[in-house]
Amino acid sequence: MEHSKINMRQLFVLIVLFEHGSAIVIPLGVSAKQDVWIAILLGLALGLLLFLVYERLFHYYPDQPLTSYVTHIVGKPLGKLLAVLYITYFFYIAARVLRDFGELLLTFAYPETPLFVLNALMAMTVMYSAYKGIEVLARTGELLYTLLQILAVVGFILVIASGVVDLTQLQPVLEEGWKRVWKTVFTETLYVPFGEMIVFTMLFPYLNRPEKARRAAVAGMVLTGINLAIIMAVNTAVLGADEVSRSSFPLLDTIRRIQVAHFLERLDVFFMIALIIGGFFKVSIFFYAGVVGVAHVFGFSNHQRLVYPFGALVLLWSVAMASNYVEHIHEGLKIVTFYLHIPLQIIIPVLLLVIAAIRRRFGSSAK
Amino acid sequence: MKRSIAMFVSFFVCALLLAGCWSKKELPDLAFVIAVGLDKTEDGRYLASFQVVNPGNVAGATQRGGGAAGVPVSMYTSTGDTLVEASRKASKKLSRILYYGHTNLVVISEEVAREGLNDVFDAVERNHQFRPTAQLVIAHGHSAKEVLSVLTPIDKISANQIIKTLEFSEMSRGQTINTDVWGAIRGLTSSGRNTVVTGVVIEGNPQQGKRQTNVQSSVPDARISLDGLALFKKDRLVRWVNGSTERGVLWVLDRIKQTNITIPWNGKKEAIGYRTVRVKTEVKPQWKKGRPSILVHIQTEGDISEAYVPIRLDDYRQLFQLEKAIGRDIEREVKQAIETAQHEKTDVFGFGEAVHRAHPRLWKRIKKEWDDRYFPHLQVTVKVDAYIRRTGLRNTPYIK
Repeated sequence: MEHSKINMRQLFVLIVLFEHGSAIVIPLGVSAKQDVWIAILLGLALGLLLFLVYERLFHYYPDQPLTSYVTHIVGKPLGKLLAVLYITYFFYIAARVLRDFGELLLTFAYPETPLFVLNALMAMTVMYSAYKGIEVLARTGELLYTLLQILAVVGFILVIASGVVDLTQLQPVLEEGWKRVWKTVFTETLYVPFGEMIVFTMLFPYLNRPEKARRAAVAGMVLTGINLAIIMAVNTAVLGADEVSRSSFPLLDTIRRIQVAHFLERLDVFFMIALIIGGFFKVSIFFYAGVVGVAHVFGFSNHQRLVYPFGALVLLWSVAMASNYVEHIHEGLKIVTFYLHIPLQIIIPVLLLVIAAIRRRFGSSAK
Repeated sequence: MKRSIAMFVSFFVCALLLAGCWSKKELPDLAFVIAVGLDKTEDGRYLASFQVVNPGNVAGATQRGGGAAGVPVSMYTSTGDTLVEASRKASKKLSRILYYGHTNLVVISEEVAREGLNDVFDAVERNHQFRPTAQLVIAHGHSAKEVLSVLTPIDKISANQIIKTLEFSEMSRGQTINTDVWGAIRGLTSSGRNTVVTGVVIEGNPQQGKRQTNVQSSVPDARISLDGLALFKKDRLVRWVNGSTERGVLWVLDRIKQTNITIPWNGKKEAIGYRTVRVKTEVKPQWKKGRPSILVHIQTEGDISEAYVPIRLDDYRQLFQLEKAIGRDIEREVKQAIETAQHEKTDVFGFGEAVHRAHPRLWKRIKKEWDDRYFPHLQVTVKVDAYIRRTGLRNTPYIK
């Protein structure tokens, strides 16, 4: 295990970049129509509860990642099995986000480039950063976070200034009642991006002041949740609920509507930068968590040797996982949610916490 | 040694990848389509016209202060069952690749508009080059091809001329409307709002308008002019409106910035002019006895722009009377527009959307029949508050 340390600001930045990740560019929670911002905020609220579960587990085992304390909680054979399951999950989601990234670039910017080439370029960058370790990734995050924030603020001002925001398009609020909103929360917004915080259980052992982790992480999640809600609300106010739900990338359509004073227009590059930065961090963090997990479970002293083989695996997986974009999205929203997100983000961590709490109480009273 | 090899490899990789020449297209190989026109041929296929910029002639003309040899734009046409097919076919006639990233104008002929726009916009919306902010106009009287063929004097590229005319005309006259492709699609998908698009006509002889001589005269043989508003019902053009009815539509849509209203006074027609500075229109839906109704509330502020009757404009009571008269005049225009739309059974004002926002449950019940059953009999109350703030540099006019 590497001995790098990340501080609280870096944790905050990593969480913000990770959570924004692909969530700002994909049509997140659009089945709630114009109430999508409510669905995102509710997803955030429940996501915070879920995060407290992960944080409590970390509290019990402050110097270990998820893949090693599961063996302490449920015993060695089952623990190892769960650890391998989580590692596979992390690699799979890394490959999935990598595919998202490649598909998005292909659709609107590079229609003639093969998917493999774009994914390979990104995968090489990701492998390099994973090789260098979490500290380097965190510092890169600090740099790019500023850039992303500047872009967000400038973009927001330009959208307002070009006068395309029509707040009446957010009405009627709760047209179909709460049912549609809750349904969106429990099928989409809770798991992506908030439930994906599970991956940070692999990074918590690297913190220099673990006792402050909760504050930094909650702050990062809340900031992201509010940002995402604002972005989707602006998308809806600019495009209307119907077009948002038909659009492959609502944010891109919103940015393309910007026209200020006949020269500030065609700012698609804002979208590209946001996509590349967000995609890079999301893939990197999942990938790094997977590699570190393998190192732990199979007793490698150094994770660096594992980066390139597993990087190649993720790259190939990202290209092979679906034959087209529609299939990819369908798998992501329907299959992955029910067979991966719900068990691995909610059911198993909650069970682990319950068992760990019982063991702790039992163990201390036995003493 | 190892280090220098690594350096060399990374240098080589950077040079190869960062240049980004995967599907490069050099500037001289691109034909910038600035406007697309759409007509129907006699056998029912689309005739697409592409106005392509002649870069040399445009840039050269401005540098040398006019009088360049060639024409600034060139037209290419091709036929096809769909827009995309026509676009691909056009490459037979063109030595460059058609590039749609700068297409700012779509001209659709009246014939196509009357048959329906549903088969037109998907390609435009789906393509990543095309911008949904491109403006939309309907060619009235002539074909879209003829409209795009006319050469224009001040703005060399006629598409730009039309776009700028649209923009400034809406700003200063208030009888035309900027509709972009995106707005038109919104009209197609919404059940509570239909699209309104401005029409363009050719004044003069379109055959002469194609020639360079057209722009060498101070009175061109053919000019492009904006005229009329096309009211759509779903995807079909159903009616043209002109003049004060046209402005009535724009009052309700809250798209008027500045306009001039002339009202009669003391038996003299066209006696006093009123120029608006600020206009705000609110559409408030109400629900009475199981039926929706609409209140349109217009507030305008403005100045007196001319007065050709003896009137004491330094008397504020007189101004209050004038305000009422102006209000009645606007109300008449608006009612005329609403009646026209109700007669055509097309809700171009977005009243349906207003009802939807205020009464989502009830809307669900009436949504399907809104245009045909509810809107034509909708009770609309128009309330106008016109304010005269200033009378200009004079108070009482010289006519005594």
